[in-house]
Amino acid sequence: MSFREKTAWVTVLAIVVVVTLYWLHVPDPFRASPTPVLLHAMGVCLAAFLLIELAGWLVLRWRFPRDAREPRDERELLIDLRALRIAYYTFLAGALGGVFVTLHLAGTGPVGVGMAVFSAFVLSQLARHLARIVLHRRGF
Amino acid sequence: MAPTRVTNSIRRLRFEHGEMTQQELAERIGVTRQTVNAIEAGKYSPSLEVAFRIAEVFGVRIDEVFHYGPPAGGPER
Repeated sequence: MSFREKTAWVTVLAIVVVVTLYWLHVPDPFRASPTPVLLHAMGVCLAAFLLIELAGWLVLRWRFPRDAREPRDERELLIDLRALRIAYYTFLAGALGGVFVTLHLAGTGPVGVGMAVFSAFVLSQLARHLARIVLHRRGF
Repeated sequence: MAPTRVTNSIRRLRFEHGEMTQQELAERIGVTRQTVNAIEAGKYSPSLEVAFRIAEVFGVRIDEVFHYGPPAGGPER
């Protein structure tokens, strides 16, 4: 497994852990008002994400120092570009769909719309890193 | 993704050059071992520059390393 694939696994793990934490902490964020509870939950989750990412990166760098020093080669750059493209379309579909659902169907107001766009961003990042893993594994 | 019609003789050339490892070849052409593995397995077609570097390492012409033809049973073994 390449170093970049390992870092993608760390990011996927961090996103899954943080999103789970967030949904446990804020059971219905789409209907919540922008109270300190919501902002506190987002702050804690952001800190947890950065902590997991940093810890994972440090462990990988310690275990595989030679791989960590290697710059991305052309195949890894192409994989990253394709993964970014997948993330872009995921974000586009998620944000537009989320805004439509929250505004027209659920009628949740501006906080719900904001949460829908933010959720689309998180989903797009998950799609991006899962795509990196698949492209590294399946071949590109 | 459509399978590539580019096959290669890298595996054979590596063994003919003192059983060169994928890691050694990767270091000499400036890519990762995983990329050499992907090229060798026919999962990735390298850029022209990397292809020339591979040929240079083995001291052969580029068409002795890479071949273009109808899709068959994968890279030369």
